[in-house]
Order: sequence, then C-alpha cells, then structure tokens
Amino acid sequence: MTEILKIKALGKSFGRRRVFSDLSLSLEAGRVYGLLGRNGEGKTTLIRILLGVIPADQGEVFYKGRKVGFDSASHKQEIGYIPEDSFFFGGMRVGELLNFNAAFYRSWDGRRAAELLKRFSLDPRARIRTLSRGMKLQLEMAVALAAKPEFLILDDPTSGLDVPTRYDFLENIVRELADAGTTVFFATHLVHELERIVEHVFILDGGRLVVDKDYHLLKDSTRRLRLSFESPPPEKLGLGGVLSERRDGRRVELVVYPWSEEAQAGAQRLSPLHMEIEPVSLEDIFRSFVAG
Amino acid sequence: MMMTIEPASFIPIYEQIKTEIKSRISLGALRPNEQLPSIRDLAGELVVNPNTVARAYRDLEQEGFITTRKGKACFVAGDSTALIGREKQRLLGEVFKRAIGEAGKYGFSDEEMQQAFEESLKANRGKNRGEGK
Repeated sequence: MTEILKIKALGKSFGRRRVFSDLSLSLEAGRVYGLLGRNGEGKTTLIRILLGVIPADQGEVFYKGRKVGFDSASHKQEIGYIPEDSFFFGGMRVGELLNFNAAFYRSWDGRRAAELLKRFSLDPRARIRTLSRGMKLQLEMAVALAAKPEFLILDDPTSGLDVPTRYDFLENIVRELADAGTTVFFATHLVHELERIVEHVFILDGGRLVVDKDYHLLKDSTRRLRLSFESPPPEKLGLGGVLSERRDGRRVELVVYPWSEEAQAGAQRLSPLHMEIEPVSLEDIFRSFVAG
Repeated sequence: MMMTIEPASFIPIYEQIKTEIKSRISLGALRPNEQLPSIRDLAGELVVNPNTVARAYRDLEQEGFITTRKGKACFVAGDSTALIGREKQRLLGEVFKRAIGEAGKYGFSDEEMQQAFEESLKANRGKNRGEGK
C-alpha cells in the first residue's frame, strides 16, 4: 500500500485555546477514511491545515512523501475539496464558474465537467445565487471532480441537506471511488451514512485522536454489555476498557473497548444473574468514545 | 438488483451482500450463467464502498457460487445447484440457531421450544389452507 498523506506531531492553537497537539496519522492511497468528532473538536481546522489554507503551530504534513506547508500550491492540484458551505460568487453563472476553475488545474477535464453538469441537471447559464443548497453541493462536486483529484477531502458537506440529496451525493462519491480509486477523507457527523463507505475511522476528542483504526476491527473489538445483578452492584466494577456506563438499580449497561475473552471472563467473575453481549453501531461507538 | 443493506447492522455489509446473492440463487431469481451487475453498478445502487462489493464477489467466487469471465464480468456459476442445496441447509440451520438463542434468553427449556415449534408449524399449515381457498 502506498502512503498518500502523513501528518507528524501536528499542533494548533487559536490564542489560548488549544485545538489539538501532537496529532499524527497516516493515510493509504485508495481507501475511505472517516473523521468523527463533536462540533468544535477541530475537524475543519485539521482539514484547513492539510489544504495549506492556515498554518500549523507545530508538526509537519507530507503529501506523497513531499513536505507541504502553509501556502504550498503543488499538492492542491491533486486534492479535491468539498466544504460544508460553498464560497461561490452568487452573481456568476454555473458555466462561468467552471471556466474560472479550469484555469487553476492542469488536470482539468472539460468534457468531464460538462458530463457532470448534465448528470446533476445543472444549467450552465443559471446564476449561482438562484441554486438551492442541494444544487450548490452538486456544483461543488462538479468543480471538485472535473479536476480529477487523487485525494478528495469532504468537510461535512451534506449536513443540513435532506435524505435523498445526501444519498445522491454519496452515490456520486461511490461512483468516483469505483472509477478512479480516489482516496477519500470524510469529516462528518452523519455517522450512519458514513458507515456505508468508510474503511478506517478516526475519532478526534479533547485535542487528540482517541481512535485510529480499521472500521471492521473497531466494530469487532467493541461490545455492549448488559448485566443484571441480585442486588445493586458495587460502585467500581473493576473492569478494564469501559468507555461508557449507565446504571439503573440492579442493572448496568457498559460499552467496552477493547473487547476480548479476558474482558468477558472479567464480567463473568462479577457473577451477574444475567449477561447480554451485543455488537455496537458506529454511531454508538462514537458516542461512547466522546461521552463525558 | 433490488437489495436492501443495513449498514449499522453487526453483520458486515459484504456478508449482507453475499447472503442476498446466495438467497437469490437458491430461489432461482438468479440463474446459472446469468450475469451479475458490475461492481461499480451494484456499489452505486446500494450506495456502499466498491471495495466492499468487490470483497463479496471475491468471497462468492472462492466459495464457488460465481465465476469471473471476460476479464471483469461476474456470472452465477453453471454448477451452483449442488452448492446451493448445501447452502440452503446451512441457512435453515442458522434460522433455528437464532430462534433457539432468542428463546434461550427467556429461559425456555428444550421441551417447551419443541412444543412451540410444532404448534407454530400447525398454525402455519392452517393459515396456508385458509389462503388457498
């Protein structure tokens, strides 16, 4: 596998507020990465540093082995970026915007741009300000994909859109993956949808990566445990890896990571009357990791 | 191919795709030597990662249910009938394993489960006769 992006010991603060510190990660070409984190955890800040739009305070970013920094231009040629809110000039026409962007990219494919407009039923003569939010997202996508990016960064672009529009968007990303083997870095809070395409999960919490793991391994190594006891159990259960805990009298519900046979044996030693072990959805895994 | 995937399920998506395709083969909705949708088309239709569809196809090929021809296109294997017989038997076993597991959660004994099973069969026969009128 070829590494496409590497981040080493990245740190960033805004004034006195530290967003993150000592953040390191590595992405392989052709895979889909999901970045999860609550609002304000620094997902957008991280993406802006990757794009070279804002500088980092510490650390380094490498794109295909080359160090890139604030203001680096070369790697932007190969990166497609779809933000949460578009920055288009409302007075421009759709076709004008595509021509305007074409000038910035060596790999720009005019025929592809025209095809994408047709697929999205976007009229090249329409003024951008007259487009709906869903249509603006499609225009963002047409601009990003016409430049045939090797690496696609999505910063929560589907939030606030209706379900059918979000699925259309995902479907187009899926086709792009199939056609071009693009690497995708997808920050989102719509975890249920991410679960359709994600292969590797990052969870950013409290300024550090609390999860950096293959999606299947993450799901396989997390379990929900429902225990019921004869009398209310002690305050401290003495189990390792408890991410979240809920109590209701004689019943306890835990999310445990990493789950193992030893963890199960540990739970058994508490001699519960009844024990249920269940797999956990990515949404619940995310909630458990960032709880409290 | 009409198919529903539940991404949040504890059953991995590629397993869900495999099960759906096998059940279509066993029901005859997909026939021997029939062409399957391309990875790109099925991934687009289900809105799942193409790598996931590729993995499901790869597994099905290894298990002998489908074959790859003409480079990339996938077809239902011509000799899938015997395999499907065994697969159906396995699926039936799983259905009961699941039901027994669920019933066990409520503390039912083997005898109670057997009795409930026979009553359910009887009720089902009655229902089918009713519908046949």
